[in-house]
Amino acid sequence: MGALAEEYLGFKTILGQKGIIFSFSGYVSEGILFALGDALKQKMALEETDHHVTRKVFSIFVEQVQNIIRYSADRMTGDIGKPVELSSGMIAVGQEGGSFFVVCANMVRLSDMERLKERLDHIKSLDREGIKAFYKEKLREDPEMDSKGASIGLIEIARRASAPIDYDFIEVGGASAFFCLKAFI
Amino acid sequence: MDNITHAATERSPEVAFDFANSHLRLKGESYPEDVAAFYGPLLTALDRWLAGRSGSALTLDIELVYFNSSSAKALMNLFLMLDKAGAAGNSVSINWRFSEDDDIMEEFGEDFAEDLQHVRFTLCPLPAS
Repeated sequence: MGALAEEYLGFKTILGQKGIIFSFSGYVSEGILFALGDALKQKMALEETDHHVTRKVFSIFVEQVQNIIRYSADRMTGDIGKPVELSSGMIAVGQEGGSFFVVCANMVRLSDMERLKERLDHIKSLDREGIKAFYKEKLREDPEMDSKGASIGLIEIARRASAPIDYDFIEVGGASAFFCLKAFI
Repeated sequence: MDNITHAATERSPEVAFDFANSHLRLKGESYPEDVAAFYGPLLTALDRWLAGRSGSALTLDIELVYFNSSSAKALMNLFLMLDKAGAAGNSVSINWRFSEDDDIMEEFGEDFAEDLQHVRFTLCPLPAS
């Protein structure tokens, strides 16, 4: 076996051991969101997954990937004849203990970490009815300054998840943190 | 006022805003790439059509199988605009159509209905396909 195949088989094996069905790492766009989401729905349909489950996985997937697109601190913008905005992040969908999970990760500015933690802890502290009420409250509110609606996306993730959402941060370098969010369905 | 019609795409619903017949329709999935670009012109046109109007009857038929949280905000803005029109003396009906086995859409319909005071918001379960 060559070193190249060995290296990437090792990589694939690690993903498999974590139950990951598919994953993406790199610059994400709305086009990638659509293509991956479509493949996800097709795969779940082929496996005759309950359509209620498919729908919840898809919903969480969309909100998670749109969070990367809107909030990743690692991004490139420019003009190549048309304006382009790419945001870097990681997306993984898998199965663990009979449940599906969606994990997304991206860099955030250290200065945004505390506020994001507060939001997530608040959502985690709510029960089902509380989450539903908070969603309704946010729906009526004007969008927060400099936020394109993150709170409601996070609430939607919590609302569709079958267990409390799990999140973590690791500080990287001086000004950034690596943010992960995992939701089980 | 010109009617607005858009065919459904994989990410955006069919739109049929028939102002001449006071009938609005949205049908399909809603997670457009740019929610503001999709819903903004619809809301602007509706706002202009409703301006100063009283004593009209207006129906919105809405049948969405999926919408993301950004679309939910846009829908809420649409409903609040219609609620305001109801308060201004118009007879506004919103028919919320969903598959009878779709708990998520049913709950969304109930949530929206609770927040609106001046429209008839009717939950319309459809036979599951």
